[in-house]
Amino acid sequence: MTTIKRMLFATKFQELAFDALESLLDLRAVGLDHVIFLNVVERDKVAMHRGVGYQKSEEVKLKEVANIHFIEWAEQLFEQGMEVGVHIVVGTLVQQVVRAASMENVDLIVIGRPTRGRLEQIVSGADISDLIRRTRVPILVYKQEDPPEAPLKAHPFTRPMLATDWSPAAGKALDFLVGLKGLVEEISVIHVGKENALTGLSAMDVQLYRKTHRKKLQAICDTFENAGIRARSHLYVGDPYQEIERAAREWRASMIVTGCSGKGTWHERIIGSIPRFLAEKSDISTLIVPHEGGS
Amino acid sequence: MPKKILVVDDDPDVRLFNASVVQELGYLSVEASNGEEGQLMVAQEVPDLIILDVMMPLQSGIRLYRALKTDNAFANIPIIILSGISERSFMKSQEALTAFGKDAIPAPDAYLEKPADAETLATQIKSLVQQT
Repeated sequence: MTTIKRMLFATKFQELAFDALESLLDLRAVGLDHVIFLNVVERDKVAMHRGVGYQKSEEVKLKEVANIHFIEWAEQLFEQGMEVGVHIVVGTLVQQVVRAASMENVDLIVIGRPTRGRLEQIVSGADISDLIRRTRVPILVYKQEDPPEAPLKAHPFTRPMLATDWSPAAGKALDFLVGLKGLVEEISVIHVGKENALTGLSAMDVQLYRKTHRKKLQAICDTFENAGIRARSHLYVGDPYQEIERAAREWRASMIVTGCSGKGTWHERIIGSIPRFLAEKSDISTLIVPHEGGS
Repeated sequence: MPKKILVVDDDPDVRLFNASVVQELGYLSVEASNGEEGQLMVAQEVPDLIILDVMMPLQSGIRLYRALKTDNAFANIPIIILSGISERSFMKSQEALTAFGKDAIPAPDAYLEKPADAETLATQIKSLVQQT
């Protein structure tokens, strides 16, 4: 059984608001009873400027504004018998998320989609990769602006889609989801085969490829079904990011779930990994379950 | 031996303000920055009064308040809640926890919404300490 007792909710308010938090209160079914809010005041907003010095009054103002939001939210949760903690700090996002997650010993980190703007996107993408490398806690990148046609956007854990590449990291994500019985209504399991793996194969070899992978997918579905969670499998071929995104829409997934090695190979760091692409670019909420490494 | 007042708040500026008021009254102030630390300090040496914030890291004032009021060893320590959380919401929170099968607990001895001016805080502290 997966237990998510303590959840870190990191927000700048524009990208993650109270309705996002409310949609995650389903997690009480798997033990959630403590929400920790984190707001990071970016250092450059209060940093020293020539002739001004460190802007202490700006820091105080920004912290108080964050506090006003959190008081409203905390009252709602306290009144439901939940425990609430708050961190409002000056610093860099990743550093403070890792620090708060470790200090509060959380079971899930929720962050908003990276901010828009070309330069900001690059920075934010790096933030996500950095965060994945530095923590072993599952990270939910919540997409507030899910497309209107997504019927279950308000409840990310209802119809997740597990993207597997058969790696140990994907196995960890599977274990995590299996433990969410009672929360997950139905799960889709997808594997995306690379087109170049089929190049030069005979029709029979392609059929064998399909049969082998469908069998592996079915074994995963059996694991879910045995745990009392309805499951269906999908085998796609093509670019993994595009196909996972397409399948998630076709099968109306409420969230994409993927494992991540956490090692951050040079290729991943420079070109980018599938989890990072999904977290950063997909309009569908993405849950990344790290396998190893990190703090 | 001066009376000892425990100030529990995660905001260092608020702790400094509260401690100054306490010291101006001639009492001894000790400080904790979250509910967990506050609970440990109470267990080590029982204070004569606690000034308690609600929203804090690690453990909220709501849980610390409940823990103290349901423990016979500490239930009689007077507590002033000093918080941005409204008194109504605080009491509803306690009712919610009671509804989940925990013991009912009394209302705080005093409830001040932030920001409290020094005079109001001092009056409450003096009044409650004199009763101990």
